[in-house]
Amino acid sequence: MNGRNKALRHAALWAVALLLLAVWAFPVLWGLLTSFKTERDVLAYPPKVFFTPTLDNYREVISGGSSILPNLWSSLVVSGWATFLTMLFAVPAAYALARLRYPGKRASGFYVLATQMLPPVGLIIPFYLVLQKIGGLDSYSGLTAIYLTFSLPFAVWLMVSYFEDIPYEMEEAALLDRAGRLRTLWYVILPQVRGGIAVTTIFVFLNAWNEFLFAVVLGGNKVRPVTVAMYNFISLEQTQWARLAAGAMLAMAPVILIGLFAQRHIVKGLTVGAVKGGGRR
Amino acid sequence: MRPALTLAAQERRFALALLAPALLALLLVTTVPLVYLAWNSLNRIDLGMPWMSGFAGLDNYAQMGSDPRFWNSLWLTLVYTASTVVLQVLIGLGLALLVLQIPKGQGVLRVGAILPIVLAPVVVGLFWRTLVLAPDVGLVDVATRALGLGSHNWLGDPQLALISVIAIHTWQWTPFAFLVLLATLSTLPGDIYEAARLDRAGAWQRFRHITLPLIRPAVVMVVILRTMTALSAFAAIFAATGGGPGSATEILNLYAYRTSFTELNIGYGSSLAMVLLGITMAVSWLMFRLRKARS
Repeated sequence: MNGRNKALRHAALWAVALLLLAVWAFPVLWGLLTSFKTERDVLAYPPKVFFTPTLDNYREVISGGSSILPNLWSSLVVSGWATFLTMLFAVPAAYALARLRYPGKRASGFYVLATQMLPPVGLIIPFYLVLQKIGGLDSYSGLTAIYLTFSLPFAVWLMVSYFEDIPYEMEEAALLDRAGRLRTLWYVILPQVRGGIAVTTIFVFLNAWNEFLFAVVLGGNKVRPVTVAMYNFISLEQTQWARLAAGAMLAMAPVILIGLFAQRHIVKGLTVGAVKGGGRR
Repeated sequence: MRPALTLAAQERRFALALLAPALLALLLVTTVPLVYLAWNSLNRIDLGMPWMSGFAGLDNYAQMGSDPRFWNSLWLTLVYTASTVVLQVLIGLGLALLVLQIPKGQGVLRVGAILPIVLAPVVVGLFWRTLVLAPDVGLVDVATRALGLGSHNWLGDPQLALISVIAIHTWQWTPFAFLVLLATLSTLPGDIYEAARLDRAGAWQRFRHITLPLIRPAVVMVVILRTMTALSAFAAIFAATGGGPGSATEILNLYAYRTSFTELNIGYGSSLAMVLLGITMAVSWLMFRLRKARS
């Protein structure tokens, strides 16, 4: 009796779990399927699960008239620069916030936190006006600068939570050896947070790659990240959904791969940043 | 040994040197633009009619009082934020409690849950608009037709459109709540539950008196983070409905955007963004107070 109840319960649990998985994974899998269909098959009713697959959509978005390769390049350049600058600024600042004593520590920490709360639409208006005046629209530097507004506060706080995990004894020992503060940071502390730096870098890159609002307003013909290109697919070509699906699969391939391979770290990053880092303050 | 005072001074100088680049960068890309935004909100700036531009005092703010589209967007912001956050936490917590009882295979579920989180919101909006919600061929429409509920214009009908964009946001971000809460739940010590079971505490009692107090900090944190995301939501709605039909899904974010960049009325758009900034600040202040009071 008890054993059968238990088996039944497990079966029910699994059913719910599978349903959940289907709801979350299905739109993506359906998009993958759609990307191999002809436009006619896409609009068939009832939807076709079995069909003759075609690579035409991929050919079109890679080497055809609506190639998204330039857009992927734009995304790579902007996200790459934004990530590099963010980490360059965030790691030292996070160390100071986590470990050093200095006047105004609380205030500076609060300032970084507050900048993270700013509504993007409030930032894009002044950025647009200023960049328009100095001829900075449709430029990599303008877009990179505004990406710092969301990536820098985020990276600082995530890195703070990693720095706080290091035992104090390590740097004390190094300092007693008169290693010097900079040398201690570089040779003793940073190797300890390598994992944290990797996770933060991944997050920052992912967020920059996925950004849309800033890109659609500040971008143009020269700098057009792939998220904007995706959006243009649907406004320009009303029913070319298979092409959109193929483009989206290519555009999202990097973040999906990151998500799958770094899954464990992403969950840890989410929880470290959210529960631990946040729970303390 | 050097005297202690010098050491402290040395530490201060080192901290300043490490912080300066980040703080300067933040000042330059966030605070300076915000001051400019505040100034713009006091001006009339119409890119369609540049000759009309000039200082306008509080005119833009006064205009909101009699602007039904503004009050509509404010209401929609409240509905959108509250409903998506509540749904995410409830569904996320429920699923986390369920999945926790599955002895094996949690890994597969976690991988599946990662998928929506890593996708760009604009792509999510586009996917839903085409493959999921499009009349006749979208997955949801196919399902409702097969169930005899008929075909619906999911994004074209004002009320359905609002429900749809709430569903889209909930779909994308519930995995976040789920993953964080699942991770928190799995760190809870098992022996407390054993003791409670020996005391013949029921499942609900165990949840109410043991689990909930233990995971409260995590829940509050999820609520705060999700509220902030909901308040700055833009791309998914923009891609799915563009704020429409009419202004049926036009939350304050989209209204400020459309006013500024579609109607080119930058002055009024700036004042709308200032209101949004005020709301965001007020909500975050409130929530941090709440957390302090609780913990």
